[in-house]
Amino acid sequence: MTVTWRTAIAIGVGLTLAAGAGGVARAQTPSGPPIRVGFSSAMTGPSAITGEGVKWAAQMLADEYNGRGGIMGRKIELSFGDNAGTPGEAVSAVRKLVDVDRVDVIIGQTHSGACLGALPVVKELQVPMVIEACSHPKIREMIGKNGNEWAFRVNPDDVMLANQFARYMAQSTKTVSIFAQNDDFGRGAATAYDAAFKKVGIKLVSTEFFDRGQADYRPVLTRVKRANPEAVLLIMLASEGSVFMRQFRELGLTQKLYARGSMATAEFLYQVKDTPSIADGLVEATYWTPALDPAWEKQWLDRWKVPVRIHGSLAAIAFRYAVAPAIEQAIRKTGRADRRTIRDALEEIDVPNTPVGRIRFDDTHQAFINMLLVEISGGQLKVLERIPILP
Amino acid sequence: MTGVRAAGWAGAAVLLVALPWLVAVALPGQERYVLHVAVFTTLYAALALSYDLVVGHVGSLSLAHPAFFGIGAYAAALLATGAAWPFPAALLAGVAAAGVVALVLGVPLFRLTEHSFAMGTLGFALVTQIVATNWVDFTGGPLCVTGIPKPALGALRITTLPGFYWMGLVAVVAVGLLYQRLTTFRLGRAFHAVRDNETLASAASIDPLRYRMLAFVIGGAVAGGIGALYVSYVGVLCPGELGVSLTVALLVMVFLGGVGSLRGVIVGAVAFTALPEVLRMAPTWRMVIYGLLLLVIVVRAPEGIEGLLRRGGARRRPASTGA
Amino acid sequence: MADLVEQLVHGLTLGSLYAMVATGLALMFGVVRLINFAHGEFYMLGGYAFWYGYRELGLPYPLAALAAVGAMGVFGLVYERSVIRSILTRTWHVQLIATLATSITLTNLAILVFGTQPKEVPTPLSSAVVDVGGVRLAWQRVVVLLAAVAIFAGLEWFVTRARLGKAMRAMSQNREACAVVGVDVQQVALATFGISAALAGAAAALVSPLFNIFPDVGSLLTLKAFAAVIVGGFGFVKGAIAAAFLIGVAESLAAGYVSYAYKDAIAFMVMVVVLLVRPQGLFGRRIGI
Repeated sequence: MTVTWRTAIAIGVGLTLAAGAGGVARAQTPSGPPIRVGFSSAMTGPSAITGEGVKWAAQMLADEYNGRGGIMGRKIELSFGDNAGTPGEAVSAVRKLVDVDRVDVIIGQTHSGACLGALPVVKELQVPMVIEACSHPKIREMIGKNGNEWAFRVNPDDVMLANQFARYMAQSTKTVSIFAQNDDFGRGAATAYDAAFKKVGIKLVSTEFFDRGQADYRPVLTRVKRANPEAVLLIMLASEGSVFMRQFRELGLTQKLYARGSMATAEFLYQVKDTPSIADGLVEATYWTPALDPAWEKQWLDRWKVPVRIHGSLAAIAFRYAVAPAIEQAIRKTGRADRRTIRDALEEIDVPNTPVGRIRFDDTHQAFINMLLVEISGGQLKVLERIPILP
Repeated sequence: MTGVRAAGWAGAAVLLVALPWLVAVALPGQERYVLHVAVFTTLYAALALSYDLVVGHVGSLSLAHPAFFGIGAYAAALLATGAAWPFPAALLAGVAAAGVVALVLGVPLFRLTEHSFAMGTLGFALVTQIVATNWVDFTGGPLCVTGIPKPALGALRITTLPGFYWMGLVAVVAVGLLYQRLTTFRLGRAFHAVRDNETLASAASIDPLRYRMLAFVIGGAVAGGIGALYVSYVGVLCPGELGVSLTVALLVMVFLGGVGSLRGVIVGAVAFTALPEVLRMAPTWRMVIYGLLLLVIVVRAPEGIEGLLRRGGARRRPASTGA
Repeated sequence: MADLVEQLVHGLTLGSLYAMVATGLALMFGVVRLINFAHGEFYMLGGYAFWYGYRELGLPYPLAALAAVGAMGVFGLVYERSVIRSILTRTWHVQLIATLATSITLTNLAILVFGTQPKEVPTPLSSAVVDVGGVRLAWQRVVVLLAAVAIFAGLEWFVTRARLGKAMRAMSQNREACAVVGVDVQQVALATFGISAALAGAAAALVSPLFNIFPDVGSLLTLKAFAAVIVGGFGFVKGAIAAAFLIGVAESLAAGYVSYAYKDAIAFMVMVVVLLVRPQGLFGRRIGI
């Protein structure tokens, strides 16, 4: 059977419409209009893995809150935007969420380029955006009283973490090599630790960057071997980290390992479950670990039928401990949860006892959640210390 | 041009210029989004036209276009943020930078056979993206170029969506006029001679290298200019925007619409940029459908939508005087 | 010195990977004059097939590897029948765009089916390390190199001794003459695709234990394999193999001694330089595979 082009195009359009129709589901709510929450991340492109995590987290959260009757009786309705990790697409995603999906609040954008593109748009459109993971150091100079009253950020960037983590490292190390992923997260962190090391007297022996998805680290590991630091600071995520660790051990390297990213995580341990002690001794500075909410972790695995959770925790933190309390406060105070009242509530909320620490935005709209030091020990995760991050 | 056609053109022009008001009336509450899509559509249409000059009219399958777009974008962005160049100067710098690189690159590249030319341009595009990502001291790398100022020409400042839309409209009209001028009359015929039968063309003393270079350099320079306009709209430039996905987008636009045809390419650009927004499908599925669509189109209907339109027109008017 | 040897070892692993993938590309170009932009996706699918066999079905390593090779061989045949048949006689523009379109479709389908999370398939040999005079390497790397050599030797035997292989070589040299003497051109084309895809599947089964598998893994690989094919002289298989090893070693050395960040540019810069300086490839214009 020859497929004529007409047939093929008809099939194509049909598929398209079907795929589109799947995305439109309006929930009927018994009391009060639903509160529309938009989640924006990279759903396509090289970083699509983060979008998947954000989406799943959002769906679980919506089910959880709506199962309890919503927030103050108002159901949560989700919309998703795809920023493909780039600023241009982030502009499109935000505009779609605001003008087409009519969201009341946005959580996103995960990637710094996308965040930077989105910031002027949320200001123009006057919709509150809670940044959950963007780590570009410039963001702090741009939000809150620094020029954008509509943007808030829950996660710290490495400029905020580096001093404390460097101080911790200095207790047992004099020379360090940095090995960082070649994106906004890795580059920003490397610069921050370079500065922080100078303050605590650690000598930065070398800095190497790798592209994510490039799984051959031997050449650079040989360089690290040559540079011979006492410790290596890894700025990488678990998906790269597991391959990296194998090659690290293959080359017989024995340096003390520190990390920023997602190395001391269940995801990493799952990837190396055939050699669970491969990264014993690694200490990571992070803000989330399964021990903070084991029920959530288990629920995730049961729901999505995956062996381990990846990503999504930061979006969940942003929703649970910032956006949801703000929505509640907005309704309590004004009876309404719209863009302006949610924005005002975000400025005022002070949630002291969350698993990640106190959630309160300062006048630069930055929250200061706790830094956790997590160690991989005996193939398990162990929380060493909980350190509040100082403004 | 007959009176009826002229009236048609004038009507279309009025509609296009008045789009911001029409949208506000037709889709109240969504006009900002529609205008944003329109900005991207006009810029992509202009970019696709500049690409079609090279691919459609001299028949050189260049895969380097994202690199020229990126070079223009970075030149304009860095000069505007680092050296406070005013918008018109930054725009010209973007055009010039891309054009010069195209000139320098074109000379050795065009000595290659077709396959090697394609791979050479692809190699260049990849190296450009790698350099943009890793030469952090110069381009900022993954930390991006931020704070790119909005366009300002003397007292005229473009800060609103309608303003950007009109900027895009001016761009696509200007590029369209340039495209028309280059692809008709003697110059157009020379291009097509080189595309369709290079040996015959040289025998007729039409130097293929000269004409290929002309199309390549102009196409590259225009792409650089569009890059400069793009960053003035988005305000931020990251190296990820120079990737293979832009090549794919351009190929889809040009081949879906109709390679070698002004109307076709513009239709393709509109379909590619605006349609997904209208249809609102899951993003990964969208990519699968693009792939399948591109495959089917290029195999079954290589003239794209333009070919369909032409055939439809010819059937309706058997004694056709041309569309 | 041990340092240099280490980098070379790594370069040989990379080179083996690139060579196996480039061979398939060179075969396709040599025999049917087709540029297959979706070749990296053969590797990617082979990787997932291997992962499925080894991790999900629990097959022993050799069996899972053979299953991956077999699965990709079949896929290659299906691919030839469906996509390639309709573009074999078209211009190479059409071929390039059609195969590029296939690449996009396959990559995104893989995202939908397997998810974006990379899959790891470590084997006992990829964790076991052998120490050779101060240079440590996983046993799997030795396997990769030996298997690659065996595969290339087998391929050489095939095109010189086996009837189908000789037909492939003949077709790459003079297609019209083949048709005239009664070689079944269609069948040879079909076989070429099956073999090329199977080679990519073999590469995946051998190399995945050392690295990992994710939907986009093929795109960079396609480009580097192309670089090897071009540098080796379009359609000349031995040239492609040599060029692939050259690129693998150059990349490793550059990464180790010059700059790790720019290592991917090496393959493309080598390719661009060769294209500009010696466009017929390092080994000169050869006829046939």
